[in-house]
Formats: sequence, structure tokens, C-alpha cells
Amino acid sequence: MLSETEKVRYDRQIMIKEIGEIGQERLKKSRVVIAGAGGLGSPIAIYLTAAGIGLIRIIDHDMVELSNLNRQILHWEDDIGKNKVDSARIKLQKINSEVKIETYCEKLTEQNVSFLLSGFDAIVDAMDNLATRYIINRFAVENNIPFFHGAVRGFEGRAMTILPGKTACLRCMYRGDIPQEKFPVIGVTPGIIGTIQATEVIKYLIGIDNLLINRLLLFNGLTMQFQEFRVLKNPDCDHCGSISRKE
Amino acid sequence: MPVNIHIHTTHRQYTDGQEVVSVEGKTVRECLNNLIKQYPKLEKALFAKKDKLHNNIEIYLNHASAYPDELSKSVKDGDEIHIVTMLAGG
Repeated sequence: MLSETEKVRYDRQIMIKEIGEIGQERLKKSRVVIAGAGGLGSPIAIYLTAAGIGLIRIIDHDMVELSNLNRQILHWEDDIGKNKVDSARIKLQKINSEVKIETYCEKLTEQNVSFLLSGFDAIVDAMDNLATRYIINRFAVENNIPFFHGAVRGFEGRAMTILPGKTACLRCMYRGDIPQEKFPVIGVTPGIIGTIQATEVIKYLIGIDNLLINRLLLFNGLTMQFQEFRVLKNPDCDHCGSISRKE
Repeated sequence: MPVNIHIHTTHRQYTDGQEVVSVEGKTVRECLNNLIKQYPKLEKALFAKKDKLHNNIEIYLNHASAYPDELSKSVKDGDEIHIVTMLAGG
């Protein structure tokens, strides 16, 4: 049940017929984990917190640096040297004190992925490298947890939603390792892609159709164009090829 | 009607800024070969070795992923090939 305060707080989104009080209650009951508190993680966390997700866990092992501030809008000048998850938690609790914010200042690895990501309704990709994304992808697929992918470089970004067993996963197009790089980026790009990911999470949790499943959405800020490409589940995928979603 | 290859932003430095290049070919590989004949510097940008694209290069044929075995996929006149680079930043 929503409290009277919550009904006022979320009035404008409860007015949306696809959400309503039932949808808002679903958001309140939901548990979402965001892997990364940087460029993508900032808008994802801000909008999911504002929307009234019940519990949000944020995982990041980095500290705030001056060079983060052009895009990682959860972190401010005073936060330089602090753990990103601490910086994030303070801001998010000021946005919405009704949301429970859990933080882990840890690097996601194959050893701790189960501990950090188990028991959630949705996993959101806000990582800065492919290797960790594949660790998360495998865990999400094997544990039947929807995974909301996003990535950026420069003015370009992409997003795709993965429903394990039903749709293509991040690994379905795996061609081999790509070296990690110091990637160029302007803050508006993760702002747009992270906001798309948060939109997808909200839609999924409420039960709204037309997710970005089997659809890779590309954004090019230089030409201000979106493109969409169809991606199919790869039967030979080493992450999702041989399993089906547990109902 | 030829096949149109849409060049990714990062590769347009090798195509004199051309966003779309028209080529002939019956497979993706033939089309890319003919693209490289026009713009030889693209070869190193696209291929790690003969018949092996770089791991970060994705090919979409008529707005659908051509993976796996994308180079051997058949194409016909009027088809659209998009060359896209994978992104990993966050």
C-alpha cells in the first residue's frame, strides 16, 4: 500500500495510465541493483530513486576523481577522494529518503558476483568495461534476472534489454576480447543512455510491453539520430545458448 | 541497384568523410572487398587478419545482426550494410 505522502510524491506518474497506483506499488516492492556509479550509473540511480524503487543497491569500487566530473553527475567537487558509492548514497537519500539505498565498495568479480547480485528483480549495467559486463551477463542469464545493458563512447551510445532465456543476451554477439581503453565521452551521452536504461527498468518492473528486447538501440549525438538493429538469440551462445528461462 | 554500406563515424576518416558508399557484391565479404578497393585504409580498421574482422566490428545487414559468419552472408541489390563499432564505456 502507498502512504498518503507517497501518493502525493508520485502523483504525476501515478496519473500515467500505464503506471497508476498498482504500478507505483510494484516499483515500491522492487529491488534493483546498479553495477557502477559512474557516467551511466549516475542518471540510472537518480531516476530510479526519484521514481520510488523500493531498494536500490549500488556497486562500485572506485573513488571520485576530478576527471570524472564532466559526466558522473552524482559526484561533485567536494566528493573528490571519497568512495563513489558513499558520494552516491548521500545524494540519492536527499532526492528520496523513502528509497532504501545499499552500497558496496567492491570490484565485481566472478568470485563475488553471486553475493552482490543475487535476489534482485533487475540488474542494470553501468560498467566501464566489457569483461565485467560479461561476468554480469552470465550471472543474469543463469539466474534468470533481467539485465539492462548500456554502453557509451564519445557522442555514441547503445542500450538493449535482456530477458534471460527469451531474448538475445549480451554475449550472443561475442566475437572475442576487446582491450579496455580510456574512452572519450561527453556527459550528455551517458545521460541519455542511462535514462533510457532507467526507463526500461521502470517499464519492466511495472509490466509495460515494448521493451528493447532483441533490439539494439544506437544513439549518435553528433547526428542526433537513433538507429535500431535486430539482434537474435544465438543458439551457440556460451552464456544463454543451452538454457531457457525458468518460470 | 548496388549495395549501400553505411560507414561508422570513426571510419569516415578513411572514406573521405563519406557516410554511405555504394558497392557491388554477392556476399558481405565481396562488398567489403570492393569497399576496401575504393578506400584501402579501411582494411586495417576493419580486419584483424584475412577473413577475420576486428572483435569490436559489428556488421548489420538490412538492420539485423549478420553475426555469426557475417562475411559469408548473401546480399542482393538494394541491401543495406551497416558497419558499427562495439562500445564498452560507461
